[in-house]
Amino acid sequence: MTAIAAERYTGASIKRSEDPRILTGTGRYVDDIKLPGMLHAAFVRSPLAHARVLSVDVSAARALPGVVAVLTGADLEAMTVPGPDTLMALMGWQGPSPEFTLLATDKVRLVGDPVAVVIAESRYLAEDGCELVEVEYDDLPAVVNAAFALDPSSPPLFANLGDNIARRHSRSESGDVSGTLANADRVIDFHIDVHRHQNVPMEGRGCVASYDADQGVMTFYAATQGVHVSRMAVASRLGLEPGKVHVLAGDIGGSFGLKIGASREELAVAAASRLLGRPVKWVEDRGENLTVSGQAREESFDVRAAISNDGDLLGLDVKMVIDTGSYPGMGVMVPDILQGMLPGPYKLRALGFESTAAITNKAPYVAYRGPWASETFVRERVLNLIAKDLGLDPVEIRLRNFAPRTDPPAMMVTGRPLAGVTSKESLERVAQLVDFPAFRRRQAEARAQGRYLGLGMATFIEAAPGPRSAEPDAALGNESMRLRLTEDGIVELFTGQMPHGQSHQTTLAQIAADEFGVPFEQVRVVVGDSDVVPFGLTGGSRSATMTGGVTLHGARELKAKVLDFAAHLMEVSAQDLLITDGNVWVRGDPASAVAVSEVAQRAASGPFGDDVDAKLEVEATYDGGEGGWSGGTHCAIVEVDVETGIVKVERYVAAEDCGALINPAVVEGQIRGGIAQGIGAVLLERSAYAEDGTFQSATFMDYLMPTACDVPRIEIQHLETVPLDAHVNFRGVGEGGMIVAPPTVVNAIEDALSPFGVRIYEQHLPPARILELIAAADPGQ
Amino acid sequence: MVNITLRVNGATCTGSPEARKTLADFLRDDLNLTGTHLGCEHGVCGACTVIVDGRAVRSCLMLAVQAAGREVTTIEGLADDGGLGPLQQAMWDAHSFQCGFCTPGMVMQATAFLSDHPEAGEQQVREALSGNICRCTGYQSIIDGVLLAAERNRER
Repeated sequence: MTAIAAERYTGASIKRSEDPRILTGTGRYVDDIKLPGMLHAAFVRSPLAHARVLSVDVSAARALPGVVAVLTGADLEAMTVPGPDTLMALMGWQGPSPEFTLLATDKVRLVGDPVAVVIAESRYLAEDGCELVEVEYDDLPAVVNAAFALDPSSPPLFANLGDNIARRHSRSESGDVSGTLANADRVIDFHIDVHRHQNVPMEGRGCVASYDADQGVMTFYAATQGVHVSRMAVASRLGLEPGKVHVLAGDIGGSFGLKIGASREELAVAAASRLLGRPVKWVEDRGENLTVSGQAREESFDVRAAISNDGDLLGLDVKMVIDTGSYPGMGVMVPDILQGMLPGPYKLRALGFESTAAITNKAPYVAYRGPWASETFVRERVLNLIAKDLGLDPVEIRLRNFAPRTDPPAMMVTGRPLAGVTSKESLERVAQLVDFPAFRRRQAEARAQGRYLGLGMATFIEAAPGPRSAEPDAALGNESMRLRLTEDGIVELFTGQMPHGQSHQTTLAQIAADEFGVPFEQVRVVVGDSDVVPFGLTGGSRSATMTGGVTLHGARELKAKVLDFAAHLMEVSAQDLLITDGNVWVRGDPASAVAVSEVAQRAASGPFGDDVDAKLEVEATYDGGEGGWSGGTHCAIVEVDVETGIVKVERYVAAEDCGALINPAVVEGQIRGGIAQGIGAVLLERSAYAEDGTFQSATFMDYLMPTACDVPRIEIQHLETVPLDAHVNFRGVGEGGMIVAPPTVVNAIEDALSPFGVRIYEQHLPPARILELIAAADPGQ
Repeated sequence: MVNITLRVNGATCTGSPEARKTLADFLRDDLNLTGTHLGCEHGVCGACTVIVDGRAVRSCLMLAVQAAGREVTTIEGLADDGGLGPLQQAMWDAHSFQCGFCTPGMVMQATAFLSDHPEAGEQQVREALSGNICRCTGYQSIIDGVLLAAERNRER
């Protein structure tokens, strides 16, 4: 690798150190692991959405040559310990907890529910074995939507709950909700739906579990967002000491929130390995990934908006219903986050919010990039609908309602300070780039020719990590890192982050190289080994601030320690020493330079007196400093073909503020990737179920992913940020694109169809739906 | 089991796969060439794309036995001694990828396309790669990498 010439690495688009292995096929993903004696697992899955399991006959499968074991739900139940969903446990969920087994015992609760696992000498043979397992079912009525789930007559999925409510109806109010509604010039009601769609990383879930009976140690090769969370899950459900579970992870082919902890299938595979004393691999196929791995976002909102005749959005009263699918997890926790974020960067004075989480015979709700994103969709839709009612421009209504940036900062009505938020600047930047008046002229000309162009915009903020606030439960949990200088002169960072596309191996090395004073190539980022990395999780867009921050401060601490030791060696004061380009030298005397590797070798050669600390290693923690918001405004220009219903995104502009950039190319990749998912969510993607609960989008011919022809070139502008912290102003940028692109695109489509009087209250707009909307619209509106 | 002989990345290989074994599984399991990834196993995502006799092929839809007597190139065979070929280098320079899972298929698809269409512009490249799904990048960086490689190739 060639050395990189840069004054500072931080802030430059340094080429990724991950890429040489990825580009040559020498990365190591979980499916690339091959261990001696390794067996392969495949699951027998339910063809029905809701049914009692009457019998499972595995005798023919067990007799198949090459099949080593067939385990049923009852077998697994006897080998494992009951326990809650890992993520729910991690987040301290206190609500209703349905009881269920790793594989189905008494009943199946969704199409694809695992009933038995076949372990064989190859995946081919394991799947042959699955074909031979006979399961007898007794159909139950399928609960396929939230409305039926909340009807007391619906059959409960979980016996211990007695109904299909995963979270009891709860209501809370911020500000004077009834007074605001009573005194507003107008109150407008909306019902807004967000459809079910899903993460779909290109690599599905998977693991290799390898139990060493002599040592009593489970080695678990995972595709995960955090090795320690996977370790917790495996240890607790297998009844092992956490110290006896060793989780390793290599390259991971995307996740977007899906791969947290260990899934029911992965836990079954771990149990099978312990039983058989041989390594067992399971990597889900695309059908399994689409059908059962997890889905997100099926939410509906009844919204009452209190507005003034001038266009002030005074208050909102929102009733949310979330369809958490079967086996509730993340879905029950989404409403709280969504409620907190609903005011966005606006002056909203009052918010009433209540929510109900329903259990249905569909795939479990999982975290998907910006799990609370529907708050932005609802708010940015409502603003456009109100603007239309009042005859206001969408830009004008936003500028009117943005909270001004003041000192002390304005507070969201839900409690957090809007410190350093640059929504207004981002909107103005977008308006300037796109030249709205010129667009309106072009739009009018196009309409005269029967072509329908539309422009839409939306603004978001993201707590990445969020501002420091006076509340004791501020969002900033600490981040830890171990840093050391090796005898080779390598600065090693041990982080609990588990990158799966985020480029931490590059970005953290950039920061450490600058702060410590070594070339970029002289930093090694160690991830994915629960024996050596601290606790952590890649998610919630926290790594830029939290891990960037602990890297910055940790590298400074390590440098101070190295300089103290070097001062002892060189018999000078540490204050007179510098480290640049991998050398320690006395200020003003370049000839004094000693390589940091030499300093490290001397430190290892000890012993030294008690007054000398030769252990060139630090444990650093970071609390997020002053934190801050990410955010921005996006704008899309679309053309709708009103004959076919096809929407083409002609132009897409994003003005973003994610604080100081660590690596602009990495930041822009995150933004573009999120936007692509948002465009896909609106125009293509839907996790579709038939009325009997049959899953209808189990292949890539049914679940349509955006391609290189669907996603336009995306123009990104970075705003100068408002620095809040004296040292660390990197902010997270992982989720914003996916949060704000759906309302941006939908707003543009509604604008394009305004000559037809189309109003849009939903998010999924494939061609057939566009045509329905046009046909049903009232041009008089 | 069927005995086959084929050339993979310039070397002659023999193997005895089951008749039903896909070329992708043969490459990954029997030849340990795990650079070829499986993203859907039904021919839509393109992650498993390899080059067979000069043409981009979905190795999940081709049986290993169908590759008998043919010349197969995988991501591992694009450059000598672990280095980067011109397209791989351009894709590194362009920050083309994130998680890397779709990468081998994208690189192989683009390799086959550029060898036939050295003058291709952006729209042609988009169409050529529209059968390869990437979930991370929004494609722009990948397109830019391919266009950069084409441009460098023309300047040589």
